[in-house]
Amino acid sequence: MMLEHVLVLSAYLFFTDIYGLITSRNMVRALMCLELILNAVNINFVTFYDLFDSRQLEGNIFSIFAIVIVAAEASIGSAIVSLIYRKKKSTCINQSTFLTK
Amino acid sequence: MDLPGPIHDFLLVFLGSGLILGGLGVVLLTNPIYSTFSLGLVLVCISLFYILSNSHFVVAAQLLIYVGAINVVILFAVMFINGSEYYKDFNLLTIGMALLRWFVQIIWTTRSNQIIEQDLISNSQQIGIHLATDFFLPFEFISIILLVALIGAIAVARQ
Repeated sequence: MMLEHVLVLSAYLFFTDIYGLITSRNMVRALMCLELILNAVNINFVTFYDLFDSRQLEGNIFSIFAIVIVAAEASIGSAIVSLIYRKKKSTCINQSTFLTK
Repeated sequence: MDLPGPIHDFLLVFLGSGLILGGLGVVLLTNPIYSTFSLGLVLVCISLFYILSNSHFVVAAQLLIYVGAINVVILFAVMFINGSEYYKDFNLLTIGMALLRWFVQIIWTTRSNQIIEQDLISNSQQIGIHLATDFFLPFEFISIILLVALIGAIAVARQ
């Protein structure tokens, strides 16, 4: 019973943040929703570690690796966002068309 | 944690409602600073939930890295940048309905069994043992990835 509730919670967070990622016009809000998507996956990892894993503990290690990778990705993402803002002076996602033409 | 059943359930409901409201706040609030603070609330709720799940090291890592570093970086980026609107081009409601239908389908088609086991060594010791023996190579790779990512971020943002 507890497992299903927690999985529904993490699935809700995942889908809400996919919605926010797709429909947000601001680039920083998209970055925030991306962080929450990866956090929802981490909740799943830790819940399965808590209820199913024995002393071998591989799920928890992987959640730590996931946190570290997300930290690296957030720093690069925010650097890219600030660079785009400096070049274009606007943060609308559909105006970042550097690669066309 | 080995809390009695009702206390555990009450805390779960409390944190779950904080998570739900915070998730809605990140997506729906128009002021981006409010949504950044809502993101901080969600990350703290998640780390409190990790305390209930017996993984204390991940609690500390989550608080230090997510709330302490990533949330602050996102706050910096938000303060640089103005403008927060939603797309007017296509219908937000149809996307929301499609995702809701997908969510319900996934929830209704999964089954679960429960197997619960006990640990004898503490959580941090287990993580240390695994990082030093089984997962030593991924650990080194992760350090290199962090180094490269930080140098890359500085190099990109310097121009």
